[in-house]
Amino acid sequence: MKLKGPFLTLVTGGVLAAVLLMLSMTAAAKDSDSNAAGTPSPPAASPSASALPSPDASQAPVVTQAAYAGQVTRGAGTTLAIAVKDGKAVAYLCDGRRIEAWLQGTATDGNLNLTGAASASLIGRYGSSAVGAVSAGGRQWTFSVPIVTAPSGLYRSVANVRNAQVVGGWIVLPGGRQVGIVTKEGRPSTATRLNTESLTATVDGTQITAAPQDGSGF
Amino acid sequence: MAAEPATQSGASQAPTLHPLLVPLAIGAAVALTLGVYGRVHEPTGIAVSVAGFSSPQTVKVWLASAAALLAVVQITSAAVMYGKVPGIKAPSWAGSLHRWSGRTAFLLTIPVVVHCLYALGFSTLSARTLTHSLLGCFFYGAFTVKMLILPKHDLPGWVLRVMGGLVFSALVGLWLTSSFWFFTTFGVKL
Repeated sequence: MKLKGPFLTLVTGGVLAAVLLMLSMTAAAKDSDSNAAGTPSPPAASPSASALPSPDASQAPVVTQAAYAGQVTRGAGTTLAIAVKDGKAVAYLCDGRRIEAWLQGTATDGNLNLTGAASASLIGRYGSSAVGAVSAGGRQWTFSVPIVTAPSGLYRSVANVRNAQVVGGWIVLPGGRQVGIVTKEGRPSTATRLNTESLTATVDGTQITAAPQDGSGF
Repeated sequence: MAAEPATQSGASQAPTLHPLLVPLAIGAAVALTLGVYGRVHEPTGIAVSVAGFSSPQTVKVWLASAAALLAVVQITSAAVMYGKVPGIKAPSWAGSLHRWSGRTAFLLTIPVVVHCLYALGFSTLSARTLTHSLLGCFFYGAFTVKMLILPKHDLPGWVLRVMGGLVFSALVGLWLTSSFWFFTTFGVKL
């Protein structure tokens, strides 16, 4: 009996862990299934899928102060870009499919404090990298993203396409990979690739123009 | 199962540390296994979630906080049982309280560690996540050792107390690097 008690505790913990692990595997599999089925087909090739490095990745710098971009610590594919300039900051969180949040706020003394629509918020520190936590849509992520230089960074477009309000956001990562969403009348979908030289993308056959974000606001 | 050979080999009259060897080896194996799994397994970002909370993170934060609270019960009841609290004689139910608060605390941490390992993995991204990852592996290793040496009365008395202290310290460290960080970063919410 004396040996059994503690041993049973360990075994119970192990069994519980195994059950939860199996449930988690089921949950993860279900999620990837629903993603595959439920994602509206993007108008063109998904930019997030093209991991090819852009060969012409050399052009005039467009980020004047500091721009940070990279994957958030957790959550497959969710990407964050932060642009900081003169005490102000702009951030964009985007998974390239349906999760996105635009945030604006302050960048003072190495501290980031940003807010966005639907009580999205970002708190962190910046320097040689930006580290912190961002929450949007009831979910939270932590991040540690490095400084990036142009043409990598954050781009935003607000346009009218066939009388529909279109807001596009692109995070261009080092190596040329892009993560972006175009929201048309409030409905998000994967953005078509942004040409980082001409700063244009095509939405529903119409060319829209994007502006690099330096952090001073949009 | 693997604890039996050690019980026999350590059956000498003077307390030696020999019976500690097999539990230590098993504990080390547990810690290593968790660490290697967390490092090798590709984090999914998704795990089974518990209803009633706004996100998996908040579930973990509260489960871990409950476990940390029970850990305080653990250290207190242990201190009372060893007569380390002046003026308080251990009541008859102190042992039961210690055992059941410990079991509950351990079981509460299981959903947390499954989410950590499956959805997040062993992380070296920051000092906090690295500390948390290392402590997490250490905690389950140390807890395994503590459970395995509980029935061994041929060990010096201090071994169990040291292991209990290590388990407690590791859990408090885990709580500080996760729940406490969460509360101070995002605020206290369900």
